[in-house]
Amino acid sequence: MPFQRPRSRTNAAISAVLAIAVLAIASVALVLHVQQQRRGEALLRADPDRVLASPALRRTAIDIGRPAFVRECAGCHGPRGGGDRLRSTPDLRDGEYLYGSGKPDEIEQIVLYGIRAGFSRGKNLASMPAYGRAEPYAGEPIPPLGPAGIADVTQFVLSLSGRSTDPEAAARGRAIYQGAGGCYDCHSGDGRGDPGIGAPNLADAVWLYGDGSARSIAQSITYGRAGTCPAFVTRITPLQARAIAIYVASLSQDRQS
Amino acid sequence: MSLRSLKTGNPEAGDVLWSPHDSAARRSLSLCAAGAVLGLVIAGIGLFTAKGTRTSVVPAEDVALVNQVPLLMSDYLVQLRALYDVSLSEATPEQKKKVLNDMIHEELYVQRGVELGMQSDTIEVRAALAGAVEAQVAADAAMAQPAESELLAYYDAHTGQYASEGILELEDYLIAPQSRLQPPAVAAALRHGANPAQLDLIRTATMKDGEEFYFAAKIHLDDALYEAATRLQSGEVSEPLRLADGIHILVVKQNTHPVPRSYAEVRDKVLQDYIAEQVKLLAAGNDRFLRKRADIAVARGFE
Repeated sequence: MPFQRPRSRTNAAISAVLAIAVLAIASVALVLHVQQQRRGEALLRADPDRVLASPALRRTAIDIGRPAFVRECAGCHGPRGGGDRLRSTPDLRDGEYLYGSGKPDEIEQIVLYGIRAGFSRGKNLASMPAYGRAEPYAGEPIPPLGPAGIADVTQFVLSLSGRSTDPEAAARGRAIYQGAGGCYDCHSGDGRGDPGIGAPNLADAVWLYGDGSARSIAQSITYGRAGTCPAFVTRITPLQARAIAIYVASLSQDRQS
Repeated sequence: MSLRSLKTGNPEAGDVLWSPHDSAARRSLSLCAAGAVLGLVIAGIGLFTAKGTRTSVVPAEDVALVNQVPLLMSDYLVQLRALYDVSLSEATPEQKKKVLNDMIHEELYVQRGVELGMQSDTIEVRAALAGAVEAQVAADAAMAQPAESELLAYYDAHTGQYASEGILELEDYLIAPQSRLQPPAVAAALRHGANPAQLDLIRTATMKDGEEFYFAAKIHLDDALYEAATRLQSGEVSEPLRLADGIHILVVKQNTHPVPRSYAEVRDKVLQDYIAEQVKLLAAGNDRFLRKRADIAVARGFE
């Protein structure tokens, strides 16, 4: 006698319920996927400068940006963007920016193309010469300084924030700064820097390298500086780049508020 | 026996393959149709959202497509900022139009340039292309951020590279030709604090401005004098050194030897040098790869 599968209304009902449940789950997943995609598109189409003012866009950006930041950037900047003084990676929460003024589109460019990362669209224009080396700068001939000259320029830099201990040395340093040393070319005549090329403001209390002491300033003048930030353009999606930029911009905004 | 009779096991069932009056047949067709619709939906989503797929819809990350080549929104924003110093919402329609037209113009001309073979004919384009490929290699190397342990190992292997610059301050004396004093006696007198002026010594103009870094002292001093000076400690007096212009004696006021700088002080340089080395390695590998896969024929006599 052949085996006969018992057929009942209960089985049919269970099958129908399962089928409906699967369809419902698939529909919900599809709707969520489409919604998420629409939110991503809205974020990409929006003016980056206005995203933080829009609660919905802000939430989307931070939902995407924070995990991407932790995955890609926290290795240097720390999981909360606080930087690492020992490694001279900047604190992204303090509202002080070496390049630009912290606008999300400026940050996005750095996320995409980096700093001295090999991309012509990145920030590569200049680096701090090593005035205590025979050839201070690879890009163009700049005369080196002697130990006394470096000490004088150090005093001048300290004087910009009212901390010079030797006014005569500071006066000699000013002559070098505004003359043969060519320091004014990047840091501007008043020492307030140029965010267009990443030349820091020497008159404030924010120091990326060292603690702003005479020794650490002299070290920077003697041996030069050239920090880097990798380019992520081939590693993350445009949406992630935008979201990271918004998230980073939100760090300083949150702190200020 | 028909298909239906095979399926039902009833040879009398007839030859009808599908009947709308049969509920099982209707259900199977409905399920097939649902499956097909679901498949089409999934395929459609995949097709229109897959990375790299280009359709008539401009992707959200782009501002336009020119012959399916995307113009990036991020570039558009940068251009707005660079030209007018405005954000997207601050820009006027005219400003937006101008920037977009400029970008489209550039893309069209780049594409036309490729069609015309500018990369073969124009020196500037060739140089820019070669530079861009090299830069891409450098960017790939820069992308791979080394672990701290790798940087430390690199620093340990190149400690000399990260030493401080030595500093020398000295007085270089020439024994006057008419002097009757024996040079070793002059050196000994100097060691005991004698006044150089009373020893028929002439101070040369070399290093009269005080401290100098080693590299500068090396330029200013004769090689033999430099070697002798760097071996002396602060406060020491050299043996008489006979050179072409006479007998020299060096009084070293200060000699600060180069010392290794700590890893923390030079980490940025270490990272920079490490990446530069990786770039060099990658570039060499890239060059080998390109040569290996290329068919290069060199004329006889030019190998």
